[in-house]
Amino acid sequence: MSVASFIISLFGFTILAPLAGGLLAGIDRKVTARLQSRVGPPLLQPFYDVAKLWHKERWTVNNYQGFYVLMSLVFAIIAGVIFFAGGNFLLVVFILTLSTLLFVLAAYSTRSPFAEMGAEREIVQVMSYEPMVIIMSVTYYLAVGSFNTNAVLTLGRPIITYLPLVFIGLLFILTIKFRKSPFDLSYSHHAHQELVKGISTEMSGRTLALVEVTHWYENILFLGWVGIFFVWGSWLAVLLTVVALVVVYFLEIFIDNNFARVKWSAMLKWAWLVTIVCAVVNMASLNWSWLG
Amino acid sequence: MGSLTTLNLAFLIIFPVIAAGILLVIRNERVRGGFVVVMGALIILASITFGVRYIGGPGAYLSVDADWLSYLALAIDMICCLYVLLKGIQHKRVWAVVLALLQAVLVICFEVFLAHHVQITHEIYVDAFSAIMVLVIGVIGGGICIYANGYMVDFQKHEDEHNKPDRRPVFFSLMFVFLSAMFVIVLSNDMAWLLTGWEVTTVCSFALIGYTRTDEAIRNSFRQIYMNLAGGIAFSVALIILAAGVNGATPMLELDKLIASGGSVAVMLPVMLLCFAAFTKAAQMPFHTWLLGAMVAPTPTSALLHSSTMVKAGVFLLIKLAPCLGWGFNGVTVALVGGLTFLACSLLAISQSNAKRVLAYSTVANLGLIVACAGVGTAEAVWAAIFLLVFHAAAKSLLFLCVGTAEHHIGSRDIEDMDDLFDRLPRISRLMALGILCMFMAPFGMLISKWATLVSLADTGHLVLIVILAFGSAATFMFWAKWLGKVLAVSQSAHPVEKGVHRTEWFALGLMAVLALGLSITFPLVSQVSVVPYLESTFGWHLGSTISFDNLAIMAVIALFLFAIFIFQFIRPRKKPDIGIYMAGIGTDTEHREYRNSLSGVSQAGQRNWYLSKAFGEKTVTPPAYIVSIVLIAVGLGAAVLIGLGLIQTGGLL
Repeated sequence: MSVASFIISLFGFTILAPLAGGLLAGIDRKVTARLQSRVGPPLLQPFYDVAKLWHKERWTVNNYQGFYVLMSLVFAIIAGVIFFAGGNFLLVVFILTLSTLLFVLAAYSTRSPFAEMGAEREIVQVMSYEPMVIIMSVTYYLAVGSFNTNAVLTLGRPIITYLPLVFIGLLFILTIKFRKSPFDLSYSHHAHQELVKGISTEMSGRTLALVEVTHWYENILFLGWVGIFFVWGSWLAVLLTVVALVVVYFLEIFIDNNFARVKWSAMLKWAWLVTIVCAVVNMASLNWSWLG
Repeated sequence: MGSLTTLNLAFLIIFPVIAAGILLVIRNERVRGGFVVVMGALIILASITFGVRYIGGPGAYLSVDADWLSYLALAIDMICCLYVLLKGIQHKRVWAVVLALLQAVLVICFEVFLAHHVQITHEIYVDAFSAIMVLVIGVIGGGICIYANGYMVDFQKHEDEHNKPDRRPVFFSLMFVFLSAMFVIVLSNDMAWLLTGWEVTTVCSFALIGYTRTDEAIRNSFRQIYMNLAGGIAFSVALIILAAGVNGATPMLELDKLIASGGSVAVMLPVMLLCFAAFTKAAQMPFHTWLLGAMVAPTPTSALLHSSTMVKAGVFLLIKLAPCLGWGFNGVTVALVGGLTFLACSLLAISQSNAKRVLAYSTVANLGLIVACAGVGTAEAVWAAIFLLVFHAAAKSLLFLCVGTAEHHIGSRDIEDMDDLFDRLPRISRLMALGILCMFMAPFGMLISKWATLVSLADTGHLVLIVILAFGSAATFMFWAKWLGKVLAVSQSAHPVEKGVHRTEWFALGLMAVLALGLSITFPLVSQVSVVPYLESTFGWHLGSTISFDNLAIMAVIALFLFAIFIFQFIRPRKKPDIGIYMAGIGTDTEHREYRNSLSGVSQAGQRNWYLSKAFGEKTVTPPAYIVSIVLIAVGLGAAVLIGLGLIQTGGLL
């Protein structure tokens, strides 16, 4: 991670990611609506929503919550900047976990029963996806020989060819990270769920706007994780990556609209099972190919 | 080695013992208070002087030409055995009597028939790692002794209500003896002396755990002594084998020579036995129950056992032996036992609501991680292990002291009762939050050490351990995050009850907080100055790319940033909330979370944390973990016996 790439990423990610993330949310809502035979809101609706939230009157249940949410946003941005600057993959994962923790603390600080329920669920979600995320970054290292995300640019072929199972595991837990049904336990956009936005129950106005923006940043970062599997030292990579991202995101929307929310225990069990199988088989095959 | 060093060494080891002797006869509370503070401060200063001198140095060896010291060590061994023997008879515990007798016989056999035939060149050594250990023991241990002062005043008030005798003189003197024994362990090159220190810590913690003399305390203290005597016996057998020179090995009793032998087949069995002894001391599965039981003792004891002494003696020995481990039967056994312990205890901690029990499981889990690193045995893994040890000592003692003080002021150590601690104990709760963050979150030290562990596992191809670490870390997030959430929940109606926390307690809490945070911020520097030189001299290793200096620096900057921003946030004047919390439109008093129920009465809404006890309770997790750990240790020991004694030739397998 050179200073130049860091500065480019700092400005590039900080400015472009929310635009792309908001647009993605708009497309998401549009596609979802079409899947449900509705027309759906305008493409730019997420931006209108956030703008409206921003100008709402400020009501807060305590003066810590907003601070935690702001810090959560800051660390999500830092994680993204390091990732797109070609920095250390594990560092990205750890800083993003810090961001998530701060979001959980924001909910806890309110002592609201609904928010606390959401916070508990969020923690279980973290516990469900974290092993796969850690294993993804370690197997990335095993395949590439470096933790730096820019190391893929020197490869002769994309790492999906080394880590196909890890990629499938990542897709599975991304459903949790994108907050998509069936794993949208703590924070959902489906009005029919029993607890829709548990973790953000007490967040309103600007605080809620920041939560939305954080989510946009995160989504772009996650798409970066998907994309890195298809990048190698060739211009063809751009094409392949774009196709892969479109397919993956459509798949997530499709899953979101076709599965009913499950209980935490099912989420934990499935996520861990998929992680173990994918991780062990893929790592073992990597290792054997070294020996051979 | 100048005379100054000898003086400093002698001071570290002898001075606490003298202090302990004097403490036995001081009955006045105020006099004792002053004395303990002065002695604690002196030990802290002495260890800092010592640590600073040697922390970056190449290491030095010292020979002590005094036979009487060896006789003294033997006498102390015998006193330890005798004490356990008498206690065993008093409480009718057959196994304690049997084990103590066996240990006594082994030590006498060793001293009489073998020890004198082995030439010992250097009895004492000092290197950067032992300097680090001296700092951990002296600064954190000394701080805990000072803390104990105020704590035990409150503790005794409670005891007086039940007409219990005041046994504090014994308590304080045991604490100081403990420190002295730990110094012996980390500075002895003569393994017979190391064993003496080892046995003294075992017996001291036996007496400290049984301090309150309740049935539970006595039961738990005997559980501790069974397990640790078994470890002590394994240690003695290892010494006998080493001194006898079985299977063509040169007889040796010096730690540096054993390490230099690099884990050759001839020393395989004694190394495994020493690892076994370390497992018992470091409370690895299946021996973890003694550490859980140890929390019946007053909190300063727990803090001391968990952070700077006792269990750290176990992992210290393993880290020293790391060059003998690595890819081989011994190394893999050690790595897997540690890994299994880390995973199982991290999962178990999720199901606990008793704060001290969560801390205990977390200690065992982190020790497991250190043990696993030692088992991996590369320089990178040892780097991680040393930092895990240091950061764990600082953060865990901070947490224990917070929980202890909180318990005296809110009357509970249950995490569910810490709901509005943020307002009831403003400063304690913030320190507790800092301690928790230091245990598991970026950018603090424990996490960076875990990161280094992960990298070294990937580099050595320990795939099973990578998976274990990934899952264990996820569980770690779960149990710390929900505790942290409770502690940081802002209440609108609670009143502070923080008055009456003793000044000695504030001092120790502040010291631990400064250590935990300061070390996280100065991490890159500490690594360059102290640990890297040690690794270079031990492994001939030049700092590779475990974690690059840039990334360490990024973490340090973030730690500083977080610290600054949180300080700013917490000194801002509190604003009254604009609005109450959402109660689905039926709230009557949102400050107390009360709502109108379906019978038109008033109910209070509550939200307990999730403990997931069906999935991660002791009944679910412990039995399989027991089976696996026992099988692992049995296989490891069996292999060591068969191969180490030359009964089986392995050829290229090793």
